[in-house]
This record gives sequence, structure tokens and C-alpha cells, in this order.
Amino acid sequence: MKEAVFDVFARKDRGDPLVHIGYVDAMDAELARVYAWKTYDEQNWFEMCVVPRTAIIPVNRTDGPFAANALGRKEGEG
Amino acid sequence: MSMFTEEEIKKKVREGYMVESVEEMTEGYKKSLIVQLTVQADTELMSAPAYWRAAQHAPSTNTQVSAHAIIQDELAHANIAYRLLEDLGVSKEKLVYGREPHEFKHPYGFDQPLDNWAELVVANGFFDRAGITLLSDVYANTSYGPLKRALVKVDMEETFHLRHGEVWMRRLSKAGDHAREMLQRAVDWMFPMTLEWFGLPDDMKRHSGQLDYKLKGLTNDQLRQVWMQSTVPLCESLGLSAPAHYDEENKEFVLDYPFPCEYDAEAKHWDFEGGEISWNQVFERWKARGPMNEWYVESVRKSRGQVEAWLNGKAAA
Repeated sequence: MKEAVFDVFARKDRGDPLVHIGYVDAMDAELARVYAWKTYDEQNWFEMCVVPRTAIIPVNRTDGPFAANALGRKEGEG
Repeated sequence: MSMFTEEEIKKKVREGYMVESVEEMTEGYKKSLIVQLTVQADTELMSAPAYWRAAQHAPSTNTQVSAHAIIQDELAHANIAYRLLEDLGVSKEKLVYGREPHEFKHPYGFDQPLDNWAELVVANGFFDRAGITLLSDVYANTSYGPLKRALVKVDMEETFHLRHGEVWMRRLSKAGDHAREMLQRAVDWMFPMTLEWFGLPDDMKRHSGQLDYKLKGLTNDQLRQVWMQSTVPLCESLGLSAPAHYDEENKEFVLDYPFPCEYDAEAKHWDFEGGEISWNQVFERWKARGPMNEWYVESVRKSRGQVEAWLNGKAAA
């Protein structure tokens, strides 16, 4: 099945930072929401979001999981 | 190409360097990490059908819920480990669906049938304790950042599984009579099964990439000791007999049976009388896989082709 990666961010309580807690593979955003909520149920999160990995644009690093989305990567290298 | 040589990366991780991306890894580091994560993912995945099959013996709807909550956790842990593998360029699709059942890397213990509620709760008490022993060591020592972060959730939930196992072991042992006898029978085969799971003794293990690259901190024998430090007193406090005792003089747990020894999977019986066998014989037994191997693997993937066909607008083959 064709699934894309979604990164999962959550905040435990009011006033807490939104942190990256994991990832799910899903066919679309709707399923990603369900999978994230069911998978990362170890806390009673105040807030949880999913972000398609392709939407995360790295600012200062050229390696790691988001490297493929670097802006102007080709121009920079060429 | 890595930015480091093998020697450089080993030195850096010893000094506390955290590896964050695949681009930083040497070939050796990546290979060791892939082996470690594959064993971790396969173990979590295969625990699910083993526990699922056993959960039918749950004595009430409440216990059904807690048994299935554990299964759900295990599947999520497997998924997280496979996701980490994908980020290293390994296909989850191929790992889960492209291998023969005997090619999975889970321990032999998860090839065995759990045939009643006592066996399920001892699995929670023993196997999940082994899981925590191994993974909390990884959490404390790993040089791979993404794995360390992923394990926060995993360790938290494994602790709940363990509590579930211990609470139920206590309850069955207190009930006495048949409940206690069933519990003791489960302990008799599952205690040695878990000890074997930790693998080759240190004096036979020539080299460990996982220690060199700081993917874990403790050796196999040390991990076995950690497991026994909790498990032997647990059994003693419940009046259950376990084939190991604490040696005051040497300050360590000692096994009261030949290790390793042969196992009769059909009878669920360890052949203590048959004496010590070689680790090569153990590896042969592991390689041949246990009685539930195919059933467990196929039960987590049998309907996949069917739904895929529907989604592509076809009737199922």
C-alpha cells in the first residue's frame, strides 16, 4: 500500500513546548490523524498534530530525514 | 560516504557524540544498527500474534481489554522500529511482507504457543521484563538520537505490560491449587526460555559491534543478571520455584541447570537431565524455528493482498 510518512508533534500540558514525539505511515492525512492518536497514546496529550514529512523544510542542516525537502538544494549543489 | 572513519566514529560515540542522521554513519555503524533494529522490530511484531492468540483465554471483558491494550502497544512499537529502519533506507514493506517466516529475527520464545491465561501473564512478567531489560539499556546508552527518543514511549508502555504480568502472577499464586500449578508449569518452561533469549555468553562472544558503536551498554551476561535480579526474587516472593539462585560469595545469580540445554517444544520441556549442549546446537534449533512461527507471521499479514486489490478496484484473488 502506498503510504507517506507523517511526523507527529505533541504538547503534554498547557505551557509545554510542542515536541516531535514520533511518526506514522499513512495513506492520507485523515488516516494519519487516527494512527497518530491511537499509536501515541502513552500520555493524555493537551495537543497533537501531524505534519507530512515532505512539508518540513530544513533551515540549517543538509542531512537527516528532512534533507530531501531542502529549498534550492539542486541550485546549491549545482 | 560517512564523514568519519570506523575508528573515528567509535571514539566519538565513546565520548558521548549522538548520531542523528544516516549521512554521519559509517558502513559498520549502519549495519550494526540495522541488525539491532530488525531484531527489535521483529520481536515486537511477533509478540502481537502470540499475545493475541493467548488473549482468547482472558477470564473477563476487563482482562480482554488489558490484554488487547498490550497487543496494541506491541504493534505500535514494531511500527516505530520499522519506521526507524525506513529512515536508514531499509524497506518496511520488504521486511514485513517480503520475507519467509523463518527469516524473521525475533527470539525463539516468540515461536512458542501461549496456551492459557497463566502462560500469557508469565509472558508479560518474563518476556516483557526481558524487553525492558534490553531496551532500557539501549535507551540509557545508545548513540543514535532517533532511537533514544522513540524508546521513551516504548519503555513507558513495556513497564505497564510487566505490571500486568506481575499482578496476575501474584493473583494466580495466591489462589493456590490448580491456578498455582498452571503458573508453576508456565514458569518451568518460560524461565529458561527467557534466559536463552539473551544469547551467547560473554566468554564465547568474540566481538560486539553493538557495544563498539555504543548501540547498547551491557553485555549478554550482564543483561541476563539484570533480568534475574528482578525475576528470581519475584518468583521467590510468590513461592514459585525457578532454576536459579543468588550466590552470596560471588554476588551474582547462578543457574541450577545445564546452560544451554535441549528443549522439547511439543512437550514444553527443558531436558535438564540431558546435560549441557553446544551453542551451535542452540543456533540450529533457533534457525529451524518453533511450532508457531508460520502461523504467527501469516496471521499479521494474511489479508494485506486482499485489501490492496480492493483499493486498486479489483476483486480479491
